[in-house]
Amino acid sequence: MTMDYLDKYRDGRHKSWKDLWIMKPIVVVTKVFNKTVVHRPVTVLYPYESLWEPDNYRGRPALDFNKCIGCGMCVRMCPCTAIILVDCPDDEGNNVERPQVNMGRCAFCGYCAEYCPEDAMTVTPIVELAEYTRSDLIYGPRRLAYDHTTEGMKVKLEETLISDYKAGNGEKRYLHSKIDRPELESSKCISCKKCFKVCPAKAIVMTEHGKNAKGRPILWPEINNETCVSCNNCVDACPKQALHMKEVL
Amino acid sequence: MTSYQSILDWINYPDPMINPYYPFGDIYNLPYDICYKLWEIIGGTIAWLINLIFPGNSVSTWLVCDMTTNFFALILFMVVIFLVVFVGVLISLWEERKVLGRAMDRRGTMIGMMGFLQCVADGFKTFMKDNIQTKKGDNMTYIWTVSLIIGTSMLIACMIPLSDRWFVVNYDTGLLIIMALYALAPFFILVSGWSQNNKYSLIGGIRAAEMMVAYEVPMLIIIATASLLAGSFNIGDIVQAQYDTMPYIIPMCIGFVTFFLCATAEAERSPFDLAEAESELVEGWQTEYAGMKWGLIMLADYMRGYVSCAMITILFLGGWDLPFIGDLNNVMPEIVFLLKTWFVFFLMIMLRCAVGRVRTDTILNLGWKVFMPLSIVNLMIVLILKVGGIF
Amino acid sequence: MAEEEKTMNVSQLDAEALAQGGVPELRKDDVMFDAETAKMDTDQMWITMGPQHPFSHGLWTLKIKVDGEKVTDAIPVVGYLHRGWEKEAENRTYPKIIPMADRLCYASSMMYTHLYCMTCENALGLEVPEKAKYIRVVADEINRLQSHLMWLAAVGTDLGNFTGFLWASREREFWMDMNIRLCGARMTTNYPRIGGVRNDTPELFDRDIIRCCDHFEKNLWDIIGLIDDNTTFTSRMIGNGIISRERCANLGITGPAARGTGIDFDIRRDDPYDNYDKIDFDVPVLNTGDSYARYMVRVEEMFQACKIIRQGMAKIKALGKNAPYRLKAPTCIPEGRSFARIEDCRGEASMYMVSDGTDKPYRLKVRSPIFVNVSSSKDLLEGCRIADVPAIMAMLDMCLGETDR
Repeated sequence: MTMDYLDKYRDGRHKSWKDLWIMKPIVVVTKVFNKTVVHRPVTVLYPYESLWEPDNYRGRPALDFNKCIGCGMCVRMCPCTAIILVDCPDDEGNNVERPQVNMGRCAFCGYCAEYCPEDAMTVTPIVELAEYTRSDLIYGPRRLAYDHTTEGMKVKLEETLISDYKAGNGEKRYLHSKIDRPELESSKCISCKKCFKVCPAKAIVMTEHGKNAKGRPILWPEINNETCVSCNNCVDACPKQALHMKEVL
Repeated sequence: MTSYQSILDWINYPDPMINPYYPFGDIYNLPYDICYKLWEIIGGTIAWLINLIFPGNSVSTWLVCDMTTNFFALILFMVVIFLVVFVGVLISLWEERKVLGRAMDRRGTMIGMMGFLQCVADGFKTFMKDNIQTKKGDNMTYIWTVSLIIGTSMLIACMIPLSDRWFVVNYDTGLLIIMALYALAPFFILVSGWSQNNKYSLIGGIRAAEMMVAYEVPMLIIIATASLLAGSFNIGDIVQAQYDTMPYIIPMCIGFVTFFLCATAEAERSPFDLAEAESELVEGWQTEYAGMKWGLIMLADYMRGYVSCAMITILFLGGWDLPFIGDLNNVMPEIVFLLKTWFVFFLMIMLRCAVGRVRTDTILNLGWKVFMPLSIVNLMIVLILKVGGIF
Repeated sequence: MAEEEKTMNVSQLDAEALAQGGVPELRKDDVMFDAETAKMDTDQMWITMGPQHPFSHGLWTLKIKVDGEKVTDAIPVVGYLHRGWEKEAENRTYPKIIPMADRLCYASSMMYTHLYCMTCENALGLEVPEKAKYIRVVADEINRLQSHLMWLAAVGTDLGNFTGFLWASREREFWMDMNIRLCGARMTTNYPRIGGVRNDTPELFDRDIIRCCDHFEKNLWDIIGLIDDNTTFTSRMIGNGIISRERCANLGITGPAARGTGIDFDIRRDDPYDNYDKIDFDVPVLNTGDSYARYMVRVEEMFQACKIIRQGMAKIKALGKNAPYRLKAPTCIPEGRSFARIEDCRGEASMYMVSDGTDKPYRLKVRSPIFVNVSSSKDLLEGCRIADVPAIMAMLDMCLGETDR
């Protein structure tokens, strides 16, 4: 293929009399000048006009309070530790955990929206976030709400399994939260029910598997594969490391 | 005038030319006329007011007598001329910002009357900046040289006549005097660079001065050529000669291009802006100037640009006459002159947009080796035309 | 007391010499001929083009030793932007390093994340799907265009031509709009993932990007006509900053700076990664070795990038909407060492990773092209005039993020 520019300008000297000493730039500038006088220049008169941004523009993150289950995936994945879970009352008065974002630390990378299993964290086109004090930059769970969320603002994380890809079924895609499931090592379980308490999706049911020497029931967690969101909370909460996340590849 | 009937006893709008102290000989001078009438109003009102309180006093009579009217009219005349020139230069500054903006595909300044008041505000903000005094430098020289640069620039800007009836002095050697004062600036720049007691400023001052000296030579030759064509150095005569024959841009086209480029160099504009550019590495002579002094230096640059454009208009584009209705044009020849000046400035702005900076040694090369021979070639062409009897 | 007062203004060395009754000793780097001129101040002096400077290339210092008008030595001082990137990477899980890699060189963020993902995939032995490879190629070339346009804008300001700055920035906006369409952000895009890319190309992306390519090629000819096509520019570029081919290879300079001196090496063509071998493009190489050659190589690369984008988008469209674009990568990378390199906008960038079986890397080392290129400032600047220094350094295209990490 040809290299148009290089062939034309290669030896640095002007090849025709038309490229006089400084004529070409003046001609070019005059053309652009005429164009911008007749039509508008390319300036957008911010703040009187504003640019149109598509749906997926990564401004500040937003939270849909009622969709959020408090799983903490956003906290886990944030590369800047800008998100922490705080206790706050929900609409009925119960005490729930919801994320709080420190916009001063946020890098607007979109991981919280990408890894959120319920699509409660979304991206928004809001970028005007200036405040007078640093503490004003911390957005609590209610303040994170955004009224005009559309479908395009929810970031979907769909992955193809390596085994599927190698077998030739590359078209199959799964949501990230529906793939990995925790696996129990029964010998280590002490039936403390901590995993049951921390599961945000209520996917763990403690089922009885007989009685132990003292006559107490042996309870082992059983994980509902449909509702689990693979948030790793149970794996972290288990005091005996009896649960491991089984990665399906 | 001991008993008055009305204020009109004091204000009568006489014709200024019958005033025995009329300073301009027998040529009608429009701004003087305006100021004469202004003083009639102001002085007459004050005289009437004083006469109300003290009827028949001598202060009132003195205020409206011939000599005082002339005196105060001259003071107001100075103010009016200064204001007109100042506003004209500000308009060229505004024009630069808007045209530069549009050529760069953006809008220029937008605030305040389509951006004009922004330029005024920018000048005003330089008042509020810190005023630096070098400890070891020669302070008196430092202050005086910058005042003289600005002073001479303002002086020649005021001395350029805008039409037959708008002039300050009507010398027979008007063009030469303007050029002589214009050429004083390099010396002041040199001394100012020296007075800052700074190695880099001295080098910068030397460079700026040698560039300006180099570019004045072709300018002077071309001015001499133009007055050769017209037959005198009087600006009014040159304009009249161009109306009689043709605008001198046609026989002197090489001279026009040369003069135009030399004028951009003299005004320290891009592509010849040594003082602003080499300050990356060798600070220019403007280093130690801060606040209002720097603001005034910038204004002086624009004034010199305005003066060069005005000279181009006078010498090449026919001054304040329109091509075919010259003598009938007594509506507003001043506006025609100013519009032509601003058009030439527009060409300078387009040159600035398009071309980057030229290196120092290239600048001097151009001045001596290209422009001076071109101006001499121009002189030859004009001599041939003159001897050949066309002019 | 009086003795001290007399010698107060003389330097220590001279004072000692005078006290012993002789003339001051000649200092070693003086270009002197006799003792008389030795007393005059005609030293070679060091000028610091300090961390704040008018050419908008980032935060670094260049000290040049000047003899009158000629430069004899140059020392670049970098490190103002050191953020401890490599150390921070040891404390983060593999997916979390991707936004960090964006900020390594903020102008070419897609390339560095691409590089990092390639390193991890090499460690895992993972082969990325075809569609992901083509999307990565297109994203890289958009990034190359955007970065080269920023360089062109900086060239405009360095040479006094502010119009060029604004026109190049305007063109850059359109490519950043393409970035927004693809992943939502203009500069630090966070788009490639270990195992593919973050999301599929959106609706009508191919139509938009072809429009962008057409519009850009027309306007690039305008910008070139403005900057390139006049003697004020070429006289400053041609013949300045010449470096020989052997010296260039010995110093380790890569990228457009090396291709301007005749070294015919481009990783995309000679060591292809991610389907560059299936795309047809030319690599501009010039033999002159001066600044103008480096400039021309970069401009031609911009035109070639448009070609690559068109071919890449055609192939993506041919693969269809259902082709896989993201594989699920395992959380932990097995023990071992891996290496990957790419042709960054500025040269060859490479990463070396040591992993130890956990979900965090043990060591991640980045080789940045500008760090090596800028260390050659002495060779580039020796013998030129002071006024040429900005012009020559502009052709190196500094981006401080990757230099200092």
